Amino acid sequence: MISEIFSDVVRIILVFILITAALIISTRTLSALVRVYSIQSFLIAVLACVLWGMVQEDTLLLIAAITFAAKVILIPSFIGKIQKKIHIRRDLEFSYLKPAGSIVVSLGLMLMVYVVFSRVLGNFADINPLFFIGAVVGVSLMLMGMLVTFSRKKTITKVMGYLSMENGLLIFGCFATELPLIVEVVILIDLIILVILTTILTVGIDSSLDEYQERLIQYHFWQSEEAEE
Amino acid sequence: MISAESVLYCLVNAGIILLLSPLFMTIIKKVKARMQGRQGPPLFQMYYNLLKLLSKEVVYSDTSSWVMRITPVVCMAVMILAALFVPVIFIPESFGGIGNVILFLYILALSRFMISLAGLDAGSSFGGMGSSREMSLSAVIEPTIIVVAAALATVLGTLDMFEMISKTSAADIATFPTLLLISVSLFLILIIETSRVPVDNPETHLELTMIHEGMILEYSGRNLAFMELSHAVKQAVYMGLLIGILVPFGIINSGEFLIPGILIAAVLFLVKGSVLAVIIGLFESSMAKMRFFSIPTLFMTAFFFSALTIIIEVFA
Repeated sequence: MISEIFSDVVRIILVFILITAALIISTRTLSALVRVYSIQSFLIAVLACVLWGMVQEDTLLLIAAITFAAKVILIPSFIGKIQKKIHIRRDLEFSYLKPAGSIVVSLGLMLMVYVVFSRVLGNFADINPLFFIGAVVGVSLMLMGMLVTFSRKKTITKVMGYLSMENGLLIFGCFATELPLIVEVVILIDLIILVILTTILTVGIDSSLDEYQERLIQYHFWQSEEAEE
Repeated sequence: MISAESVLYCLVNAGIILLLSPLFMTIIKKVKARMQGRQGPPLFQMYYNLLKLLSKEVVYSDTSSWVMRITPVVCMAVMILAALFVPVIFIPESFGGIGNVILFLYILALSRFMISLAGLDAGSSFGGMGSSREMSLSAVIEPTIIVVAAALATVLGTLDMFEMISKTSAADIATFPTLLLISVSLFLILIIETSRVPVDNPETHLELTMIHEGMILEYSGRNLAFMELSHAVKQAVYMGLLIGILVPFGIINSGEFLIPGILIAAVLFLVKGSVLAVIIGLFESSMAKMRFFSIPTLFMTAFFFSALTIIIEVFA
């Protein structure tokens, strides 16, 4: 009975996570984007807690705690601060795909993930449908994050796409694979993101990627190497 | 043979929706005004407006034809008919094809068609522009609405809206988690169909971007009252549908209705509708009007959630 309630809650949370994923693709205002991201992370933290209630694996609680601290509080407030300093509020430029197109593509991606997974993990879907759908949502979220990363032009929104990709990885990890390994990977990726963030911070987060390259050169970041050659 | 219950249903359901729809309209206006730091109109303002309009003289443009004369009546009739499709008080047995979701969509399309035609009829440039915009938008919105209806039908396993709402009211949201996704779509459709910000601006008669207001610009007196009331009813019908799908508690099932139950259901609908109206007002206040050519993004979002629902329901 209780596990049924839990699995219902998990389903509802997954639905909400999908809604936030679609919002991340289509939102243009930066502050709203950051807010959506922190809501998504919060949902994942809650999801991890509920899953802990189902399978009693303590690592899940750890994940919930880490997620809450890092992604609900730390990273959004960090980006929020940066955003106050720089003067972009909206990201209106898109390369390759406009949000409408991205949304359709992401629909196709989810379908593809579903088909591929049901071929690869056919039995798993029958044994444990909830965990199967969780894994599908996780991987789809990763792909959607990837979509954001390459369809946005501003660096700061690319970072948001990257972060939501990592959220997808986390969901996948919660549902389908062995946890300790995944925790390590997650932390590693968080570190990478931090590195990217700090690099961008030093050079100027308000630029598009092309300008960023120019500024890197302008500020002599790569000058020394070229000089040596 | 139409039973007494069906007749009662028609009277009560259409009556409640007709009665409450202007109130919801004014609540939205009031919330928007408060958000802008204004006092806003009194809660019964739209009733006063309608009463005043009903007693005023009707003026037709010289160039207008019979289309202009019948459109308000057709719109009003269509909306009252549409109001029968969405049970907000109690759910009767199906009768006479009422409740079929596809019929519902095409009835609404009829009113849209008539309004656009009437917009062209008077020969004013505003009306023509409004009609042209309305038609180009509806070419995009109609497939989306069909997909939303298809998603509803897939999840609840029926095309009949009475059955849909009786199913949702019998179960809770955890039984059909994907209804949450459809609700997002329905909310967007509600915004788009009732010409609200970010698609259209219901407040203005000056802006060149207006769509709905452009088409009804030529109406006066009783006809204008009909057009405005039918617009309000359309909004209330969509609100009733969203409420019936998402928070259906309080709606009475067929065969067990009594007078107190009906009263309670009516009050509950009033409360839920008012809350939804406040939410719409807040949503509108937080948005700027979109550029005409970026509106399809909104449709795509609605399409996405419904198509996603279908995928989840069919495959998972």
